[in-house]
Formats: sequence, structure tokens, C-alpha cells
Amino acid sequence: MSTRVEPIAIEMTVNGRLRALEVAPHHTLLDMLRDDLGLTGAKECCLVGECGACTVIVDGRTVDSCLVLAVEADGAAITTVEGLAADGVLSPLQQAFLDRGAVQCGFCIPGQLVAAQALLAGNPHPSVAEIQEGLAGNLCRCGCYGQITDAVLATAEADVR
Amino acid sequence: MHTFSYARPEALAEAEAILATHGPDARVLAGGTDLVIRLRDGTARPGIVVDIKRIPELRPSIREEAGVLVISAGTVMTDIAADERVRRWFPALAEGAAVVGSVQIRNRATLAGNVCNASPAADTAPALLVYGARVVAQGQGGTRRIPIDAFFVRSGVTTLARGELVTAIELRLPAGPMGAVHVRRTRRRGHDLASVTLCCGVDGSGVTRLAYGSVGPRPVLFVDESGVLADPAAPDEARAPIFERMFADASPSPRSLRASPEYRLAMLRVLGTRALRTAIERLALA
Amino acid sequence: MSTHRIGDSPNRVGGVGRVTGSQQYAADIRLADVLEARLVTLDCARARIISIDTMAAELVPGVRLVMTAADLPQPVPRFGPQFADRPVIAVGETKYHGEPVAIVAADSKDAAEEAAGLVRVEYEELPAVFTLAAALDPAAPLVQDPALRRNDRLASTNVLREHPIGWGDVDAATADVVVENTYTFPMVTHFAIEPHTFMAAPDGDGIAVWSTIQHPNWLQKVIANILGLPLSKVRVLAPDPGGGFGGKQHAKLEPLVAFAALRAGRPVRLVLTLEQTFQAVRRASCEVRVRTGVNRDGGLVFEDIEADYLIGAYADIADRVVGKGSYPAAGPYNVPAVRIMARSVLSHTVPSTAFRGFGNPQVNWAVESNLDDAARAIGMDRLAIRLRNLARKGDAFIPFDTPADGDWEQTVRRAAELIGWDAPLPPGHGRGIAIGIKSGPTTGLSYSTVRLLGDGSVIVFAGTSDMGQGARTVFAQIAAQELGAPLDWVTVVMGDTAIVPYDQQTSASRSTVLMGNSVLQACRSIQAQLRAMAARLHGLDASQVSVDSGVVQLPGRELSVLEVLEPGLGPLGGELTGNGEVRKDAEPDHPLSGSAAFFEFNCTAVEAAVDEETGDIVIAKHVTVSDVGKALNPLQVAMQDEGAAIQGLGHTLMEQYVFDETGRIRNLGAIDYRIPTSMDLPLELRSAIVENEDGPGPYGSKGMSEGALLCVASAVGAAVRDATGVAIRDLPLTPERVWRALRDRPTP
Repeated sequence: MSTRVEPIAIEMTVNGRLRALEVAPHHTLLDMLRDDLGLTGAKECCLVGECGACTVIVDGRTVDSCLVLAVEADGAAITTVEGLAADGVLSPLQQAFLDRGAVQCGFCIPGQLVAAQALLAGNPHPSVAEIQEGLAGNLCRCGCYGQITDAVLATAEADVR
Repeated sequence: MHTFSYARPEALAEAEAILATHGPDARVLAGGTDLVIRLRDGTARPGIVVDIKRIPELRPSIREEAGVLVISAGTVMTDIAADERVRRWFPALAEGAAVVGSVQIRNRATLAGNVCNASPAADTAPALLVYGARVVAQGQGGTRRIPIDAFFVRSGVTTLARGELVTAIELRLPAGPMGAVHVRRTRRRGHDLASVTLCCGVDGSGVTRLAYGSVGPRPVLFVDESGVLADPAAPDEARAPIFERMFADASPSPRSLRASPEYRLAMLRVLGTRALRTAIERLALA
Repeated sequence: MSTHRIGDSPNRVGGVGRVTGSQQYAADIRLADVLEARLVTLDCARARIISIDTMAAELVPGVRLVMTAADLPQPVPRFGPQFADRPVIAVGETKYHGEPVAIVAADSKDAAEEAAGLVRVEYEELPAVFTLAAALDPAAPLVQDPALRRNDRLASTNVLREHPIGWGDVDAATADVVVENTYTFPMVTHFAIEPHTFMAAPDGDGIAVWSTIQHPNWLQKVIANILGLPLSKVRVLAPDPGGGFGGKQHAKLEPLVAFAALRAGRPVRLVLTLEQTFQAVRRASCEVRVRTGVNRDGGLVFEDIEADYLIGAYADIADRVVGKGSYPAAGPYNVPAVRIMARSVLSHTVPSTAFRGFGNPQVNWAVESNLDDAARAIGMDRLAIRLRNLARKGDAFIPFDTPADGDWEQTVRRAAELIGWDAPLPPGHGRGIAIGIKSGPTTGLSYSTVRLLGDGSVIVFAGTSDMGQGARTVFAQIAAQELGAPLDWVTVVMGDTAIVPYDQQTSASRSTVLMGNSVLQACRSIQAQLRAMAARLHGLDASQVSVDSGVVQLPGRELSVLEVLEPGLGPLGGELTGNGEVRKDAEPDHPLSGSAAFFEFNCTAVEAAVDEETGDIVIAKHVTVSDVGKALNPLQVAMQDEGAAIQGLGHTLMEQYVFDETGRIRNLGAIDYRIPTSMDLPLELRSAIVENEDGPGPYGSKGMSEGALLCVASAVGAAVRDATGVAIRDLPLTPERVWRALRDRPTP
């Protein structure tokens, strides 16, 4: 029989907004974002850290939110795909994904965008190989990898100009 | 996922006490990239999960202390792969850390966690064996430094005692030049569990240390002090018997999904040969 | 005004929602009061269910429903697109690993999960057949109850159906050289990143069902039939799927969830795990024996092909896959004598279903690879043998079907040119070239409605599902082109059977052609109304007015649509409405019940190198060229073709189900079932198109998006053989398999 465990109060910043809530210890950050905060941009797919559809940024670094307990994010600053566009204006990366045809069904795209955003933050001018390696943790079954790489390169180049 | 209680000790002693009290009912949570999968699939069902990331001594840090590089238990693969000192002195460890999972995984997965899981396929284990790493374990009885080769028992089992916690991995800075490399085989080029993971190091005195994993219940270290392997001019006939001994302890599981035992054993030799060649080349450049 | 018209590549309609995370996929929809459902399954391939004890599960706080076959109408309803053979939930026996035996619904996921684990099922494991050899053994247990197969001479076997097709006399044909080989194609799964999601809720005196389904209207019929409701009381809501690839065409667990919702009196939601999607959909594995007869001059004399497809425990659409997929197996060549015998073989495995390429990649792998063998046997260049036999436009290469509908030689030559077929190769490299062909839709029915609103903006109602292929964008482009609206003034409404008119299905690369023509027809109907309106306003005869690309042409002057519409509608405002109906009726005497609306034609060429010590394949260059008639949106065309190419590399290089000795799937989920990542691409991937505006779709377009997958394996396998001298006839070409083949090759 399972034990009933008390929820734990946590606080964090999500997309710049302070959020305080109570979470069960066994709920993941992905559960919390989707079910408690209604932020459904991060997607649920493999739940073993292989597909990257649930990628979010925690304190500047990408994680598979399906493998992070919600309580672990207590005190963290979190960015999800919903936090990429500022005041309704698409980020350069979001725009490049559209312009370069990086989006087919779109289900993996929130994870791809968040991963690419973090990649560029750490390496503003990546090579093709660095982009492919950096985004290898984000599966796209539609096979938009070439277009996604183009979009990241284009964003990096635009930044140079 | 089943329910469990969650502890987030802020002092080492507190963590040790919780671990001592709960014994096998407690699981240590570092990066969680392995544990959370097991919590979800039910292969781990602890009553309490102990998150060690807020313990000051375990916070991510790589520091040099008296000729030893100390990697704290909270240090993640991303930082190890990128650290200048690791790359200078222990490049094969940086290479091993750089191929653990994806970026997202490496941003969470810790070296200490990789070691404590004692997965035979752990990509950092061969380099740690080649570099002669020590595992620093602290418990209520005090601190122990366990040579990594004496730490691994089999998949999921180590010589860590009840109530003990790994606080750091230590690597003695090399006394002389060394050439080393990490290589692996996977089913695809993108991130994958290795079907063979291997590290070879050759030092200036002619000693070759070669360690390999994913071909038996635990990673294996072989040391050749004869100088034959390290000698680029040595004839194949001289090397062949050493290679045979070197890989004699490999016993890949026939149940594995990743590759057949036959292929793994063949690749062990291919990778071993290639890694040795690269290690010798790197030594020459060192 | 936006110039985003036909032939431009405007950004995807619906794209902003996809990059901001606001796009609502089925699992993102939040209904108040929804119950979360979990399935109860058995960890074995086949079992006799002795008893199910739900008491402990029902006692879990928050659990509202535990349902088994006993709680359903008796006999438990069955359904299926070809045969009504799949029960809503397992009855008496589970027939594949993962077939649900109970469903639990609770206030929370936690409660549902806990309760699902507490359902006690007593069962006896039964022997399962999960290979072709085992299923075809005369002593094999029968997968389907013969009682479900009345008047079926094959009912006492595991062969569901045979599909013989052919022409000429293969037995009488004599060829200079006959090449015979057997090829196998693995069992693979769709692995859409969006797992299947099903939700149902009581809706007045009817029901609403949300699903990741590709065919909402088909699902509506299934639900109405099973629940005994009129169609008008079944509302299917089908948000854009997050990837379908065929795996979301037909109803799977929607009927079960619908019964659960009605029984609970509340909405019920079931989101499959990725592992469960492996147990819901897959592609049929296949073994193909090919005898190719060829003369020394390169002329093909005959093709004699036997293809056994291993389908699952229930037919789903798999038997149609077998029949239609094997039908053009002899390829786009003029072959005087062809004999094809394809069989769909039932087994205790996950029901196989449609998957991009629809049964064609399996036979293509065999027949195109064997054509290389034939070329080698007569010492002819592999490109030359293809060009020698390729059907020219108008050739009746399949005698009783649509003649060759494109200048296919152009496509093949373009691929050869892009790969540099005659250029010197780097040492250790090899090249392969292969041709894929697929019969397009054989029947179809697509209605649409277009509304030109009073301000000149447009709403298109089209029942296609946009699962990434970009139908929404293309329909918007057509409406913008025809009615002169800026693209961002066009809204395309899909996926709601209560609002959107009927569409048969989203499959077979049909939507641009069939629904595209329907939308075009609806727009043209509005254009006719505009002509009449302009004539009335300006005292002209309608024949003096024309409308083209959003411009109303009167004698001597041009007006915009709005300049006619506003005064024409008058002070009360209003709108103009046009309807489209495109129908391709069945042809009763045709072997596929209908000739092809078009053929998808692709030529793929590959340059590869092999690490002979490890068996690793490096694809240095991959070229894919498709005859698309007219690219309505060239960027989307390239995305489809390159994506199909990459998907094809999956079954070519790494993907396959692995079973244990009892028929359980060992590699469920993402850790041990590998699909290509961004690091697994060819070093260079290039797509190109041939556009002769000779297709039946709008502006001369043809269907596309499956073509570039059809012959990937054949081209890669050929390149590997060219590089190493070793022919490998089993997929996937894993490093280990290549290594073994190289190790075992006869020493010269």
C-alpha cells in the first residue's frame, strides 16, 4: 500500500514570474509545469530523457524536465518555450524556425527551441557539427533536422551582423 | 511514479544520518537522470529520496588540492567535459563525460552518480580506471578513499557501506607525460548507451593502462608494464598475446539488446587497437 | 498585400502557435472534471484471461471507474476499417503484448496509476506466433477465431488474405539470366513524438471524442456505430496531430474511452506512453522472394514476386496495406510478365497499420535490390538498366491502371546528375540508385466549404488533418490565390466533425490533390458569384466578367474582390459561400477497387562508405528527387522529402522491434529502440523536384511526401554493396549486421 506523503511548498521563477505552489515529491518538473501551472508547451513523450520534447531551462541550463523532480526546482529560475517570446514578439530563433521551415508537426519544437536558445547562449557562433551535437537530445520524427540547423545558424549569423 | 518522502539535507552529517537510518530504503538523488527513470518504472522503490544537491561540501566544484584534482559529488558531466584542468590532465575523462547522454542529460548527470550506479556501460568508468581515480566516501565512521577499481562490484553494486555517501572523486595529477583516449561503440551516432566503452592510456615509462566496459558485469582495468603495447615498433606477434590476456575478462551478456557477445568481443579488439594507436600518438605530442 | 500565393513558401499557417507553445495538441486540452485513465495490460504475448479482480483497485481513493470486457455490451462490440475484428477491449484472450484487459479512470493520474497496478488478472499464458515461419506452420495456433471468418477458405490458417496480381505469362517467359533472392524488412514503429491521446465526454444526448486521429470522419462512424448513435450525436474533435505518419489513421482505443466516459458520466482522458504507442501501431515486417528475369540487352523479361507480410492480431488496415503496397512491386518499368503474390499473415503481435509508404518500402527493398543483382549479372550499369526499362509517359506499365503520369526519366536523370553517377569515387566509397513508386489514392471523397466574409477575409473548412505535412498552409494559399485575400486573412478550420464538412481521410498523400481541388472548386464557385455580382452592379452580362487571382476583370477595367463584394453584399453585409466536392468513386472491377489518382515517383541516390572493421556506414551524400507536378509551397515540399528520407534511414540503418522467446517486445520505448538523431544524418542531404505541372491536383500538382521514403533502403543497400562488394538482404543495416556480412564474405 502506498504511503500518503505530504506535499511540499516550493517557490520558483517561471518565465520571469514568481510562482509558489505545493507539489508532491514524486511529481516531476514536467508534471508541475503542465498540470499545476498549465504551461503545456513542454511536451510529454518518452519520459526517459531520450527525446527532449520536455526540455526546459533551469538556472541557465537545459534539462529534460521529465527527469527532474518538481521539488528539485525549488528556488530555481525556469524558462519554458512560453517564455521565449517577449511581449508577443517572436524571438529571433522562433522567427528563424518559421522562416527556415524548421517546423512540421511542431510537437518537438518547444524542446528544440529551448535547447537551441541555451546552445546559442553558451556558444553564440556554433558550427554545424556543434549544433547537431548540441541538439542530438531532441528527436524530430518529421526529420526537420537540416532546417532546424539552418535556423540556428541563421540566428547566429544575424546576431553577428 | 510511486510515492516517497523527500529529504533535502543541508549538512553532510544530516545526510549521513538519514542514510544510516533508512539503509536500503533510502536512495540518494544527485542528477536524477538514472534514478528518476527507475522511480518511474518501479525498479527502484525507496521510501525516501535524499537530495544531496544542497549540501555545501557537495556543491559543484572542481579544485586542485596538493597534487590532486578533486571533483565534488555534485559536479555534472557538462562541467567536467568543459573543465580546462580535466581536459589538460585527464582528457580521456573529459571525452568520456562528453558522450554521456545528451546535453540535457550531461547538465544533470553527475560523475559521482555515474560511479555509484556502477553501470558496466558507464562511459566515465574506463577513464577513471586508467587514471587510477579514488572515490571519497564519508559516513558516520569517517572518511574512506576507495580506489575506483575496488569500488565497482557489479551493475548497481559497489563497496560503499550503509550510511556512506560519496563526496568526491579524486584524481592524482599525472607525474609525467601520458597519452590517453576514450572510444566507444554505439548503435547510432547520436547519444546512445555504449555496446563497448574503452579507455587507453600510455605513459612515458612505457606502461599501458587499458580499461573497458559494457562487456561484462563491471568495467575492467588491465595494466601492461612490459612496455610492449606502448612500443609503436613492437611486432603484432608480440602484442597479440597481451591483447588476449587483456580482454580475457570480457564476458558480454548474451541478453543485451545493444550487440551480440561476438560483436562486442570483436569490437573490443578493434577499439583497443585504435585507442592504443591514438594514445601513443597523443603521448608523442604530450 | 501579402504576395504569398501558389509557388511561394510562406511561413507555415499555424506556425506561430507551434513555436510559442500555444498550439494545443490533444494532450494539452484541459477539460474540467476530467478523469485520468490508465490501461491494465499483461506482460506476455498471448494469454487466456481466467478472471479479473477489480476490488482492490476500486477501493483506491479517487478511483471512479474500473472497466473490463464484462462491463461492456455483450457480445463486446468489434470494429475495424477492413474487418470488424478488434474488440473494444480484450475478450477472453489477449492476442498481442500490450493488449488492454481493463481500464481505470480516477480523479488523478496518481490514483489511476496506483489502481491500475492493483487490478488482479489471473491468466494462463498461451503459446504465441510472432514470426512468419511460426504463423505459417500448419500446426500453428489460429490467431483469429474462424467463427469471425465465415465463408473464408483461409479461415483455418493464419493467412488473412492473398493478393495475387500480374500480367503476361511468367511461366512461359524465357530470360537470358534469372536472379533469385530473398529479402527481409524489419518490424518498425511510427514513433510520432506525440503519443496517441484519446478523450471522450458525454455531450448532451450524444458524445464528444477528442483524438489524435488522422481520419476524424472515419472515427465518427466507428463511434456512432458502436454506440448506436446517429452521426449527428457524435462529435469528433481532432486537433492537429503531432506527427501521424499513418499510425493515427484508424480508431484504436477511442471506443474504449468513449464507453468509459459514458459509464463514468464524466470526461475521461487516456494519454498513451511512448511504450504503449509501440503496442498500438507498427509497420508490417515482410519477407520477399524475388525472381527477376532479364535479357543480356538489359530488357526485363519478368518479375516473379512473393511477399509475406507479418501483420498483427487484428487486421486494422493492414490487409489493405499488403494489397496496395505489393501492387506496384514490379516498379515503374515496362515488364512483359509479372506475377505478384502477397499474403497478409496474422500473428500474435501488435496490429500493424498504415505507415508512410503503405507497404511499398518492403517490396521496393527487395525488387530494386534484385534489379541491381540482375544488372551485375549481365554486366550492365545499374542506372542504365533502370533507364532501359523505365516506363515513359503514357506507358501502361501496369496494364489495367493509370498509365505513367510523369516524365520519370527526367527525375531519374536529375538524381543521377546530383549524385555524380559517372564521377570517380573516393576509395572505399560506393554508390547506389533506386526508384520508388507508389499508387496514389484509389478512391476519395472530400467536401469543403469556403466563406468569403464581408471584409474580404476568408474561412476555409476542410476536414484534412494537418499533422505536419502542411495541408493548412496549402489550402490557405489556394484560397488566397483565388480570392485575392492576404494569406494572414485566411483561416483554415479543420478537425471538428460538428463544423467541418466530410472528408474521407488524410492518407495516401491525397490532400493537396483531392481536398486541394475541393477547396479550389469552392473558391471557383465564389468567383462565379462574384462575376454575377459584378455583372449586376455594372450592368453587364456575367460572361463579360472574369475573376482571376483575386482580380475582377470587367471590360476595360479591373476591380479588387472587395470593390465588388462590398457594394454587392449591400448595407446588410453578409458573405459568399462556396462548396467543393471532389469524388473519386470506386471501380468495382479494378484489383484495388480503383485506379491511381496519380503515382508518387521518387529517385534516390546515395554515396556511402563503410568502416570495414566496425561495420559502420557513413552516408556521404543522399539525393532525393521527386516528381511533384507543381510545388504549391516549395519549402514544404523540401521539408517533406528530406524528412521522409531521414525517416527512411531509420528502418534502413537502425530500427527494429526485438522480441524475446515468448513474443514479448524487449525494446519498448526510446532507450533501446533507436531512431535517427541530428547526428545520424547523411553528411550531405539534398532534395530536388521535377515540376511539369502534369498532375491532377490544383495547378498541376501531384501528391507527395511518401515518395522520398520508398527506396531509401534500396539506395543505401546498393551503395554499401558497391563500396564493399557484399550484398546484404536483411534490414536494418546495423553495424553488427554489416560487420558480419563483411566477415563472412567469400575471399576472392
